[in-house]
Amino acid sequence: MMLRWLALFIAVAGCLLLGMATGEQWINPFSASDTLEKTILWNLRFPRLLTAFAVGGLLALAGAWFQVLLGNPLAEPYVLGVAGSASAGAVTGLMFMPESAWVMSAGAFVGAWIGIVAVMFFSHLGPNRMLLAGVVLAAFWSAVLALLLALLPEQGLFRAFSWMMGDLSHSDLPAPLLLLAWLIALTCGLLLSKSLDKLLLGERHAEALGVDVKRLRQRLLLLASAVTALAVTAAGTIGFVGLVIPHLMRLLFGSLHRAVLPASAIGGGLLLVLADSAARTVIAPAELPVGILTAIIGVPVFLLLLLRRN
Amino acid sequence: MDRLMNLSDLTVERGGHTLLSGLSCQFNAGEVVVVLGPNGAGKSSLLLAMAGLIPATGTIELAGQPLASYGRDELSRSIAWQGDLPPTEFGLTVSQRLKLAAGEDAKTIGSTAATMDIAPLLQRPLGELSSGERQRTELAALMLRNTPIWLLDEPTAHLDLKHQIHCINMLKAQRERGRAIITVLHDLQQAMAIADHLILIDGKGGAEYGEAKRLFASERLTKLFDAPVITQGAVLVPDYGEMK
Repeated sequence: MMLRWLALFIAVAGCLLLGMATGEQWINPFSASDTLEKTILWNLRFPRLLTAFAVGGLLALAGAWFQVLLGNPLAEPYVLGVAGSASAGAVTGLMFMPESAWVMSAGAFVGAWIGIVAVMFFSHLGPNRMLLAGVVLAAFWSAVLALLLALLPEQGLFRAFSWMMGDLSHSDLPAPLLLLAWLIALTCGLLLSKSLDKLLLGERHAEALGVDVKRLRQRLLLLASAVTALAVTAAGTIGFVGLVIPHLMRLLFGSLHRAVLPASAIGGGLLLVLADSAARTVIAPAELPVGILTAIIGVPVFLLLLLRRN
Repeated sequence: MDRLMNLSDLTVERGGHTLLSGLSCQFNAGEVVVVLGPNGAGKSSLLLAMAGLIPATGTIELAGQPLASYGRDELSRSIAWQGDLPPTEFGLTVSQRLKLAAGEDAKTIGSTAATMDIAPLLQRPLGELSSGERQRTELAALMLRNTPIWLLDEPTAHLDLKHQIHCINMLKAQRERGRAIITVLHDLQQAMAIADHLILIDGKGGAEYGEAKRLFASERLTKLFDAPVITQGAVLVPDYGEMK
């Protein structure tokens, strides 16, 4: 097990270095000589990599929480419609203030919290009904989003679509703030980890083992939704990380949350750093939406591991 | 005998339907109470109410205090509940499942697993086990809970004959150690082997509590289950008609 942790940390360090080096121009991080290269490395690439790491980690943490909260391994951060409401908020912002740089993030943040408040109305329901309510809410927000996109002037469409597929190039939230959120979220998760482990046995068994399930569910829903809102605000809707990374980490580190949560927080970050590095490099000087690459990189790795474990 | 739990004029409802009403009884240390009744009568719901997992009207007292005055954590230190098999989606292993039950006191996991014949399965995910193996895991988890009261919902379900006997003997041993055991059973012979008292729930809202010796009678059980129960030697058995 120690070897796996060591491998994970080495992979993170390696991917961060790779991310620093790659992009439109290859720069060796250890021998950057002129001011321009240093500026690219430390003022552009490094903060962006930290943002990618934090956002990926937050999404994976939210995914792990939603899967336990809903008792469903197919759950992911966007399952209860928070991403849909955030996207609707972002596009609404774009519609009214198309010239503003930060309006999509602000709109996404407001939209995400509207989605969270809507979801909280259903927090007292059991996992299955809550999931159903979430899926219906997600469908509602998708419809609202489609309506907004239909009304959006043509020049705003490209910006809206690239944001909706995940965009780390225009994050308005500073990387240190996101890393702090990553650390706080992970700490909160670890504090709840024993109760989360018991929740894996189902609500009745968890209660019989002394967990106040109602309170835990409310806290978990709020925490997971808030983390999702922050990640979406920072980088748009990036799929796949929150669904698959927790499963991948369970395969590698077992099911107990004192291992799954830190491993997911690191593994999610790792995947997004890797995906963002590829997104900046593959068709440079243009960029691919990072959400496409999370799936392209993550799916084969996950399926391979699944087959080997089987 | 120490009185651990007391029910007074208890009524249990599910979905607006009264399952049983007016049940009064007490549970003492070192005693086994078997709950009998037809499907859907409210046996499992009675156990859930006693564990504080569903609401009920009337009075449930634990060590002289109302059950509602206990926090969830406090309750879990007094009452262990065994019910449905837990889900297996997230890959918990047998060892991890047992650690969740044992809490800080994980030293006895190996010996308890050996007692329930699951020592070779400790590193296997629950999802790879048969229902019988999972049931034995749940019984081992129960044994790791050092609580004075056990509430068991069909502890012998899914078990083969050898492990059914093993389970009943384990319950007898736990009774000798002073545990109060309240268990739902469907097998009359198993019930007769361990019951000190019975709770009979008829599925029409009625519930009766009394000494096992008095309540084990073929006419009474025939009426309870709406199925023929006959005396064969010293035991009561279902009447399956002519044997081949």
